[in-house]
Amino acid sequence: MGATGSKLEKALGDQFPEGERYFGLENFGNTCYCNSVLQALYFCVPFREQLLEYYANNKSPPEAEENLLTCLAELFSQISSQKKKTGVIAPRRFVQRVRKQNELFRGYMHQDAHEFLNFLLNELVDILEKESHAAKNLTASSPEKIANGSCNGHANGVKKEPLVTWVHKNFQGILTNETRCLRCETVTARDETFFDLSLDIEQNSSITSCLKNFSSTETLNAEDKFFCDKCCSLQEAQKRMKIKKPPHILVIHLKRFKYMEQLGRYKKLSYRVVFPLELKLSNTTENTDCEYSLFAVVVHVGSGPNHGHYVSLVKSHNHWLFFDDENAEIIDESAVQTFFGSAQEYSSNTDHGYILFYESLAASKS
Amino acid sequence: MMNSGVILAHLKDKPVQAQPQSSSSFGVSSGVRSAAARFLGGNGSKTLSFVGGNGGSKSISGMSGRVGSFGVSSSSSSVGNSNFDGKGTYLVFNVGDAIFISDLNSRDKDPIKSIHFSNSNPVCHAFDPDAKEGHDLLIGLNSGDVYSVSLRQQLQDIGKKLIGAQHYNKDGAVNNSRCTSIAWVPNSDGAFVVAHADGNFYVYDKSKDGSADPSFPVIKDQTQFSVSHARYSKNPIARWHICQGSINSIVISNDGAYIATVGRDGYLRVFDYKNEQLICGGKSYYGALLCCAWSMDGKYILTGGEDDLVQVWSMEERKVVAWGEGHNSWVSGVAFDSYWSAPNSDGTDENVVYRFGSVGQDTQLLLWDLEMDEIAVPMRRPPGGSPTFSTGSQSSHWDNACPVGTLQPAPSMRDIPKISPLVTHRVHTEPLSGLIFTHESVLSVCREGHIKIWMRPGFGESQSGNSDSSLSTSLKEKPSISGKAFSSSYKQ
Repeated sequence: MGATGSKLEKALGDQFPEGERYFGLENFGNTCYCNSVLQALYFCVPFREQLLEYYANNKSPPEAEENLLTCLAELFSQISSQKKKTGVIAPRRFVQRVRKQNELFRGYMHQDAHEFLNFLLNELVDILEKESHAAKNLTASSPEKIANGSCNGHANGVKKEPLVTWVHKNFQGILTNETRCLRCETVTARDETFFDLSLDIEQNSSITSCLKNFSSTETLNAEDKFFCDKCCSLQEAQKRMKIKKPPHILVIHLKRFKYMEQLGRYKKLSYRVVFPLELKLSNTTENTDCEYSLFAVVVHVGSGPNHGHYVSLVKSHNHWLFFDDENAEIIDESAVQTFFGSAQEYSSNTDHGYILFYESLAASKS
Repeated sequence: MMNSGVILAHLKDKPVQAQPQSSSSFGVSSGVRSAAARFLGGNGSKTLSFVGGNGGSKSISGMSGRVGSFGVSSSSSSVGNSNFDGKGTYLVFNVGDAIFISDLNSRDKDPIKSIHFSNSNPVCHAFDPDAKEGHDLLIGLNSGDVYSVSLRQQLQDIGKKLIGAQHYNKDGAVNNSRCTSIAWVPNSDGAFVVAHADGNFYVYDKSKDGSADPSFPVIKDQTQFSVSHARYSKNPIARWHICQGSINSIVISNDGAYIATVGRDGYLRVFDYKNEQLICGGKSYYGALLCCAWSMDGKYILTGGEDDLVQVWSMEERKVVAWGEGHNSWVSGVAFDSYWSAPNSDGTDENVVYRFGSVGQDTQLLLWDLEMDEIAVPMRRPPGGSPTFSTGSQSSHWDNACPVGTLQPAPSMRDIPKISPLVTHRVHTEPLSGLIFTHESVLSVCREGHIKIWMRPGFGESQSGNSDSSLSTSLKEKPSISGKAFSSSYKQ
């Protein structure tokens, strides 16, 4: 382990980025789903910075209850404050906390990295919302209401503005679901927020094409008609999803695990889906081209959904790194394309890009 | 897992016309025009005929296998014959560590020659049909090494090694990054260019010594274009530093005046070869550009890349004039159909239609028409308001063409007219790497090294009376819809 660490250090030489740390994460029995996502989040620099800032501001009360947010913040802080530049860290407390919090992740079974990411982000948001609420209640001099996790303060009839936490600011985007009744032509738009986009995939396609399909117009008819409020009846309609507010961090989940009805189980789709290092979203409502740059990929290794392994690729200071639990190595940018998938169903290459992390480049423009 | 096998498997090839005599038969006949019109008509889901293979039924289902594609392993039939005069048209392609040569006009199309490389894999090659004497075939390797040879000499030899080769950039002495693209400079008496994965291309002169002069100055600023010349008129004679990241393709206009490159940074760049100056260029919509091609008259450049678009660049306007939307994945090969002319064209320059094709990692072959008056209309609207990328003066903003020597930023989706393909056809099961138009057919190549030859409809029909049954066409076209029926669409 130490050897691989120094190897990475040697490979980077004097190009080793100032202040950066590259640490592998120990596996506690099938926790690669967790490790791969943690690496992607750690190298999501705005997220990391805000988490560390949070940690710095909330360090004081030692009696404060441990939760996923504090555990994650502690882990990130532990990595970033290491004396050595490379090495291995055991995310023990964080993994224990995850297992305590959610029985799904308690066993030692293979877990889905996307489900874990979803769970984690939602938990973080919950914690931040509760804290913010508790803080508000405190400042509103209602000391009887102490944040103990069970408070349900917004049940007092007052319409509560949804809180925008820094987790939201990083990951949240807004989709708008436009439905046009084919009888009265009325367009009903319904907004929904998202932390990631789950895309259906096709063999030998690109992310661009999958995004296009995601936003393509779908006709609701036959069994699947739309209840039009204006017509007050079920009508044929056209539906399409557009991105109303592109997120700062665009997380794309490729639906590689598909339920096969005739098999009665999930199957892994090894399809070759190419993802560019730069991407633009053109399916936005504003018709503005929102540009993104790829900075992390969570890769599923294996041929089936119930077993296998997760690794991650991250881009840090213009270098690409490959993280496989404890191990970290530098890879060439061109190696990213070995994780696209297979053009043939049966292939020896089972390392497939599963969750893609893109960061918006728009911040510098506006 | 981390090796670059995927990259090596990419196949780039060039048809070769070994004899000037044979190329004289490549004129455009009126028969081909009408044939191609029918080929391109229809709804795009029709059955295309397939030339080649070992005879027998040519049903569409047979094409999913390897029937008729050039087997990689079938190198056993190497024919060596010192009396072999080499007349004919050949396909030169690389798979793995070898270059294969097939006779395009033979029935089985099995490679008649394979040349194996022991140190590194060949990754690109080029043929000069106008070479009066000496070396006409260039081969670039993964190691950066470059060879020039005589194709005929290779065909006359029975061995599996390159013979009579001039070896340049030996063991990567000048540049040890991968060769990515190689091209002869037309009308230059044996000059050629070799592009590398590190953003440089080198100019060589085949009449000069191959021994390397590795003393090019260090590139101070990787982001700046610069040209350095060798001191002692040795090969390579010049280094052009183009960009950061790989140059993915280099192509030269038919008159040898302009060099176009595309690369990892997503830019198309066009240079004046003689004056060593950047003329114009622009950024893709997003992502790297992977391929490019000149029109025969040098007025247009096609590019394809990771934004799934086929881009048409106008040399006159120095900007993108159309985006072809139709691929579901990256565009890996583009080519103008130089044998095509519009069915009703009367030879005037008005309303010229260009036909071109593209192949992609979606395994599809697409054919397109570019009709200038239809493209021009939407382009008359005022520019999208984004300032020019670099030095452009205030006035350049309003000019129709951007000033010489500047690069255009990525256009906005709404500012570029879109065109749709005439024909979309899934031609392989593997991602494609290139296509070639010949007089009577369209060739598609996939990255695994399989080549398929698609007959232009009608061509086979006219010959089927006196030739093999495999040449007969199974095309079911709708003659009422001609290629002309297509028009470019302009989306909001």
